[in-house]
Amino acid sequence: MTQSMENELTVRIEAPAETIMVTPLDLFVRDLIQQFPAFSKSEGLVDMLELAFHEAFTNIGNHAYRSELKGRVTVQIRVSLQQLEFRFEDNGESFDPEKVPTPNFEGPCEEGLGIWLIRQIMDKYLYHSENGSKNVLRLIKDIPGSIPDGILSRDHGTK
Amino acid sequence: MEILKRNDVTVITMDDRFDDAVARTLKGMVQNMSEQTTIKLVIDLSKTNFIDSTANGALVSSWRSVKKNNGDMKIAGPSSHLKSLFRLTRLNTVVEIFDDVEAALKSFSN
Repeated sequence: MTQSMENELTVRIEAPAETIMVTPLDLFVRDLIQQFPAFSKSEGLVDMLELAFHEAFTNIGNHAYRSELKGRVTVQIRVSLQQLEFRFEDNGESFDPEKVPTPNFEGPCEEGLGIWLIRQIMDKYLYHSENGSKNVLRLIKDIPGSIPDGILSRDHGTK
Repeated sequence: MEILKRNDVTVITMDDRFDDAVARTLKGMVQNMSEQTTIKLVIDLSKTNFIDSTANGALVSSWRSVKKNNGDMKIAGPSSHLKSLFRLTRLNTVVEIFDDVEAALKSFSN
């Protein structure tokens, strides 16, 4: 489902939080973001944003929903003149991101880099859990430069 | 992934996407190889456009497996984006990175 209002584009997708969805969603996000010059003109930015999305979605599948459970996640991608936001909603186990250890870079790390990488790429990492049953993760990236008028007001098809 | 032998060096060319499932395969394969013999290994990333944190971890793990058995592992052909990622994760501080496979192979001879 997409919503296109002047100066803002929102895409909302509900999907199983399973490995099989990771690559298709990664590629969709990548293709979507690449259409906006504000992102595509910054070398490597689209790659990094795809990685941040990938890490967040993968974490939900691996941790919020353990391997024996099946769960769903609602992903919302919002692009405005000032920001790109990835928003993930799940009904799995909640966690405290502040308690995730920072990687120890005395040597190269084999594990535990996912959240750290997301924080390096995105400008904001905002997580909260509502009543222990609905978890919301918002990843926000401020847009370098500005988006020209009209780019976001095109018709994007079926809602 | 594609595995080739160039003289006494094993070259593993990774595919376009190098993520969790592929990472586990690589890690297990390199561990098995390095337990059997001392190996010289080049991981060719010239066809790879996407690497996630588990893949980065698999590269670290593979390097450790190889070094533990007196071998060596190098990386060849990463894009500028992957080079940036390796700087971010500090992988470049332990694994030598070359622009292409030929340069990596040559370094084993030097």
